[in-house]
Amino acid sequence: MRFVDEFRDPELAQVVGAQITALCEPGRHYKIMEVCGGHTHTIYRYGVQDHLPESIELVHGPGCPVCVIPMGRVDDGIAIAQHEDVILTCFGDMMRVPGGTSSFIDANAAGADIRMVYSPLDALRIARQNPDKQVVFYAIGFETTAPSTALTVLRAKQDNLTNFSVFCNHVTIIPAIKAILDSPDLRLDAFLGPGHVSTVIGCRPYDFIARQHGKPLVCAGFEPLDLLQSVYMIMKQLAEGRSEVENQYGRVVDWDGNPRALAVMNDVFALRPYFEWRGLGSISHSALQLSSRYAEFDAELRFDVPGVRVADPKACQCGEVLKGVLKPWECKVFGTACTPETPIGTCMVSSEGACAAYYNYGQYAKQRIHLEV
Amino acid sequence: MTAFEPDSGEACSLTEGCVTCGDIALPLTVMSFEGMDALCHDEQGRQETVATELVGPLAIGDRVLVHAGVAIEKLDKPRHQPAGSRR
Repeated sequence: MRFVDEFRDPELAQVVGAQITALCEPGRHYKIMEVCGGHTHTIYRYGVQDHLPESIELVHGPGCPVCVIPMGRVDDGIAIAQHEDVILTCFGDMMRVPGGTSSFIDANAAGADIRMVYSPLDALRIARQNPDKQVVFYAIGFETTAPSTALTVLRAKQDNLTNFSVFCNHVTIIPAIKAILDSPDLRLDAFLGPGHVSTVIGCRPYDFIARQHGKPLVCAGFEPLDLLQSVYMIMKQLAEGRSEVENQYGRVVDWDGNPRALAVMNDVFALRPYFEWRGLGSISHSALQLSSRYAEFDAELRFDVPGVRVADPKACQCGEVLKGVLKPWECKVFGTACTPETPIGTCMVSSEGACAAYYNYGQYAKQRIHLEV
Repeated sequence: MTAFEPDSGEACSLTEGCVTCGDIALPLTVMSFEGMDALCHDEQGRQETVATELVGPLAIGDRVLVHAGVAIEKLDKPRHQPAGSRR
């Protein structure tokens, strides 16, 4: 397949793997965090770790948008959906995320009208088709997805739609990386930067990671060879004593990002003073809400929402997994009480969640064998 | 050719995962225009209607990176790529 096969060539992967090994300092252990859940998925789907020497450990980051949603926000969505005249729309992976009492799919079975959409523009279409209903889009995602929500709000305003609103849970990646860098229980050497988020925000926002924290970051694409080349670029920086922001995904990511998308986001959204992240706690200025200019489309103003904070189940260790402190299989309930069919934690829900990625691609069995040997 | 239907599970599925949740973006080629939307197709011939406001003027045959029904970047264009921020 054009643009894909050349990034999945196993022989080339071996060559790059050998080049990476040659850059390793004997006796040193390297920890590289892949920030994006899409990278986590690629790493385990294609066995990227198998092409790396044992001294390089890939640590999973918080960049799965479903995984960082706190349980209370799921309950808020269900409370909105339980209004008789409401159709709640959301992305597919949100349907099974457990809230404090139930999930969207449970609420749907109990009578609430909750529908899965691929795009917020599909939610707008549903609103046009159902003028007697209030259609709410449950917005999640990082800067890759936030522009599509912003554009949808702009179109709703242009059309003077009065039966459409957004329950906004969009989060931003930079504060999450800052929280990880400030975490005392994690020592990282470098970051693989999120490719598609960077398509929107560009590479400049990561500059502080290189300048202030002295850690390399390479914006990486999503094919196996993209990731291997990015690890090579990181290892070359470390071997040469450099810490820079570099862009491996230059075929897609512009250094300055997408100014049109950024302008639309700046118009439609405002930063929340603080937002609760699952696993990372409350992080200031880390999430988006609709700006006052678009208040008429803000579901939090249109509906009463409980806004109750719900503690994660005691058995669930998603927080440690999201920070990269624990590997998925080290969680007490991984693969037993918590599976993709009956997830306890969010990391097991989305296919981009670290636990689901391990579960689906056999890392559990592999690591168990490795530990037992 | 088949179209991406939001409810069909092709693009967003309970069992196969959700391309939107996964921050996955797809390279598609522009076939035709209707207002600010473009009908695009992927390598397998599957079609999708895509909003184009965020990428500026497009022509038939242009390739775009699409996430959640919205083109977020035009592909195959010259990019500004300065050297890294040396410490």
